[in-house]
Amino acid sequence: MSLPRYPGYDVLHKRNGPSWNEPTRRAVDARLALPREPRFFDARQWALLNALCARILPQPADRPPVPLAAMVDAKVFERQGDGYRDTRLPHLQDAWTRGLAALDAEAEARHQQPFVALSAGQQDALLTAMQQGMLHHPAWGGMPPALFFSERMVHDITGAYYQHPTAWNEIGFGGPAGPRGYVRLDSDRRDPWEAAEARPGREDEAREANRRVR
Amino acid sequence: MDALETPRGRHGRAPDVLRPGAWLPMREYPQNEPVDFVIVGTGAGGAPLACKLARAGFSVVAFDAGAWWRPLEDFASDEAHQAKLYWLDERLCDGDNPLKLGSNNSGKAVGGSTVHFSMVSLRFRPEWFKSRSLLGYGVDWPLDWREMWRYYREMEQALKISGPVTYPWGPKRPRYPYRQHEVNGAGLALARACDALGVDWSPTPLATLSAPRGDAPPCVYRGFCVSGCSTNAKQSALTTWIPWAVRAGAEIRDLAMVGRVETGGDGLASGVHYFREGRWQFQRARHVVVAGYAIETPRLLLNSASARHPDGLANRSGLLGRNLMVQTNNAVWGHLEEEVRWYKGPPSLALCEHWNYEDRGKDFFGGYCFMSQGPLPAAWVATQTGNHGLWGQALVDEMRHYNHQVGLKIVGETLPQERNRVTLADEHDQYGLPVARVTWSMGDNDRRLVAHALDFMGRGLDAIGARDIWSEAENTCHLGGTARMGFDADSSVVDADCRSWDVRNLWVCDGSVFPTVGGVNPSLTIQAIACRTADRIVALAARGDL
Amino acid sequence: MATPHTLRLVTLGATALMGAVAWTWQARETRAPRRRLRPDTDVLVEAARTLNRSAGLLALAVAADSALEHARGDFHNRAMYTPLATSLLSLLASGHGHRDDAAAAHRLRDGCYLAAGLTGLVGSGFHLYNVSKRPGGFGWTHLFYAAPLGAPAALVLSGLLGYYGERVRDAAGDRVPRVFGLPAGQAVALMCAAGLLGTTAEAGLLHFRGAFQNPAMYLPVTAPPVSAALLAGTALAGPHRPGLRALSRLWLRFTTLLGLAGSAFHAYGITRSHGGWSNWRQNLHAGPPLPAPPSFTGLALAGLAAHALLDEERHLTPFHARLWRRRPAWRLP
Repeated sequence: MSLPRYPGYDVLHKRNGPSWNEPTRRAVDARLALPREPRFFDARQWALLNALCARILPQPADRPPVPLAAMVDAKVFERQGDGYRDTRLPHLQDAWTRGLAALDAEAEARHQQPFVALSAGQQDALLTAMQQGMLHHPAWGGMPPALFFSERMVHDITGAYYQHPTAWNEIGFGGPAGPRGYVRLDSDRRDPWEAAEARPGREDEAREANRRVR
Repeated sequence: MDALETPRGRHGRAPDVLRPGAWLPMREYPQNEPVDFVIVGTGAGGAPLACKLARAGFSVVAFDAGAWWRPLEDFASDEAHQAKLYWLDERLCDGDNPLKLGSNNSGKAVGGSTVHFSMVSLRFRPEWFKSRSLLGYGVDWPLDWREMWRYYREMEQALKISGPVTYPWGPKRPRYPYRQHEVNGAGLALARACDALGVDWSPTPLATLSAPRGDAPPCVYRGFCVSGCSTNAKQSALTTWIPWAVRAGAEIRDLAMVGRVETGGDGLASGVHYFREGRWQFQRARHVVVAGYAIETPRLLLNSASARHPDGLANRSGLLGRNLMVQTNNAVWGHLEEEVRWYKGPPSLALCEHWNYEDRGKDFFGGYCFMSQGPLPAAWVATQTGNHGLWGQALVDEMRHYNHQVGLKIVGETLPQERNRVTLADEHDQYGLPVARVTWSMGDNDRRLVAHALDFMGRGLDAIGARDIWSEAENTCHLGGTARMGFDADSSVVDADCRSWDVRNLWVCDGSVFPTVGGVNPSLTIQAIACRTADRIVALAARGDL
Repeated sequence: MATPHTLRLVTLGATALMGAVAWTWQARETRAPRRRLRPDTDVLVEAARTLNRSAGLLALAVAADSALEHARGDFHNRAMYTPLATSLLSLLASGHGHRDDAAAAHRLRDGCYLAAGLTGLVGSGFHLYNVSKRPGGFGWTHLFYAAPLGAPAALVLSGLLGYYGERVRDAAGDRVPRVFGLPAGQAVALMCAAGLLGTTAEAGLLHFRGAFQNPAMYLPVTAPPVSAALLAGTALAGPHRPGLRALSRLWLRFTTLLGLAGSAFHAYGITRSHGGWSNWRQNLHAGPPLPAPPSFTGLALAGLAAHALLDEERHLTPFHARLWRRRPAWRLP
């Protein structure tokens, strides 16, 4: 099964329509206006974080990228916790600081280079080892690498991506809905203000339908 | 966001959440004169109790640590923004299976977690109230199911639950006051799976309107239910019990974190210390009701220890904070050829309670129901990265199937274990209070239940032609059990009336009192117990036993 | 504020108002007494034209309703355009009939009405098939939210009303006008009564789905069946029940007004949906259906036309009665 595509769909076209209310516009506008410069991470961490984002959530080159590192930086800077913390993990900020340092230490130990200098394949291999809990450098300081990987690193990066309108376009999500919700609830039924999925060979139809989404 | 900075319930008025910009007059009570009841928490337990006690003529002040939102004006259609409804203060989680809390199951808002609950309003199976005697596991409740079913009926009427005309499981129940909702594509996939498995299915009874009710409109199926309903179709405590309580003369204090229940020389509760508007204050009370749910309730009572109650209030049995139960929340997922677009409508429009009512063919105690699903993107990616372990291009590609995805997810019973508990940690929160440490480990029976469910639901998805089916093996949801109700002071924290055995003017009214959790979402049962407690308090007062 | 109390008051007020208007309407109507041997052609044609108008009103309701509902279904099956086309045909035929005072059926009009009626029948079949293939078996879920089983029946009724109108015209010259073997008045009255009952069933199902949240929702499930009973009673009871006839006409007038008020109530219902009229793309579909209630108006007007025919038959009764008295003698061997 080929991957579903929604050519020409842009959830932001609905911004001024009945699917968005004022609080939604404020919330999404603020997200889109996020500063692109780090407030929490230093230059070395920032470069490493950007490299990580590119591996954890690769983005296509044919559109402006979602500023994942900036979104993660904002979360960490503002200490937006999750409301729970595995006792094996330190606080949000400490976890990131220590995790990034440990990752670089692992890269140095394995390849005598910082993480950012590694090839994509080497980076992925290191990340896979981390996910599987195969890293044991003392720089982790007792923090389980696998736990940092899933509950902090991947959680924060991917969580940032899928709250961005660009990601909603990519997966054909209807986006904000209120006051106007949805009428057609059954499968294979689409409200005119939802993303139209391209049928093979009929991309133009979908593009035209998506152009009219308001 | 000023609702997070400045209290709205003061100067003799309260927000009228059903009308933009409008206010309701609200009674205010002086702090230095004892009110009849202080209630800590305004969710599914505290709010109905506040309403019914105020209606009965008691003076009532209810506290909530969270903000008093106006959904029509304050709620965005945005998962991340609406995190403002969740209890995001730090909690430490350990045990073999550390819990994930936050968005999952506790709220910090007037109305508690009912502001972001999924509105699933189910009754307990009658036998569960006597699970030890009749089914051989857990402990019996000191409540009779027939009495509880009368209260369920009252709750369903009060909240205008929209449910099916006939319900396939359990004793015959009266018709729901509002009709069922239309079932979306994800729900009809569950229906097809159940048809294939040869079990019944039903549209889910939901606390969201299928027709107008006063100033509240019917549901528009926007799908952001667990991020807070911006239309007021959701019949949360915020839009029902709270305004009714205010009209009946109760005072609600928002942005008011209660840190300690004070006890006097007689060992009885004399009031509560609470932090509001930048300072600690004290409200005197003749009775204190703690309704903070299964983590905050034991946390507050443990933190209220005194010379006379060295292990915390109401903890002579040593059971306070113990027997923490969750409900397992595992799922199977897969894609269909058709465009399901599960983001439309309430997330669980269809359900199957077969394995709550069928005891044959099980290698475990307890039961589970399963429901259709509709997670929004941020929640969905958390599932894909957490349990599925995806990242990189594999994750991006899998997420692209979003509009074709279907899933069946359980609310499964776990058994009470004394080792699963809430204690106080050494860390402190922004109020200077010790944070809760939540310890939970899965038991063997819990594992067998999950395995059974995943197998059964997996066969269902397979039968409807889903592809790339995978099982979400670890996830939990609702809580219960840390201030168990029971028959005597040695084996429970409160009696059947939710009254503490040790401190007779202290009450607990929330999911903490559940001796067992059953296999259905607990909110309707919590509200039913709260209303029963209110009636019992009125009856006890009438005969001078309060 | 839509409190239960205000809704009750609004319902009572609207009922009283409609009752008063119906009463005044009835009181102002004058009928010249007639004593003629043959039925008055004008009366029959006038009744036929009323039936055309009723058919047109139902056709209009069906056109609007099917356009809305089938747009909701994205016209995913080409056949979903058919009711729109045939209801518009029925509407055109009805407009033509309204302007036509000929005492004879018109072949094209007949064709249009037949097409509309057949489309309605086939539509009911389609809807039933659609429901039958839904998952989870036949049940309330699909009665409430799948293709509505009763809706195409309104098109059948539109066709029937028009077709009866044409038959009444055809009967205009007859000594004893008959339609399908029954006296014309009786035939039309019984068909209208059945139509009112069927439409009540549809309103009942949908108002049950709405949990009768507004007490006004009980009106269209109570008044029209009473109208139907009175109308059928009048038609079957024979000519000498003037009180019954008057009551039946009054109820029909009330039902006529109720159909119009229904649309007003539904418009109010849309304002109570989230976003109100500014969210019309959702609420025209999801809110109460605006075009549905006037079906009652169409049927009730047709019922009044039946009354005109029945009255005409009554005026002829003295003469017919003499015939009747003699007739048995002829039949004696």
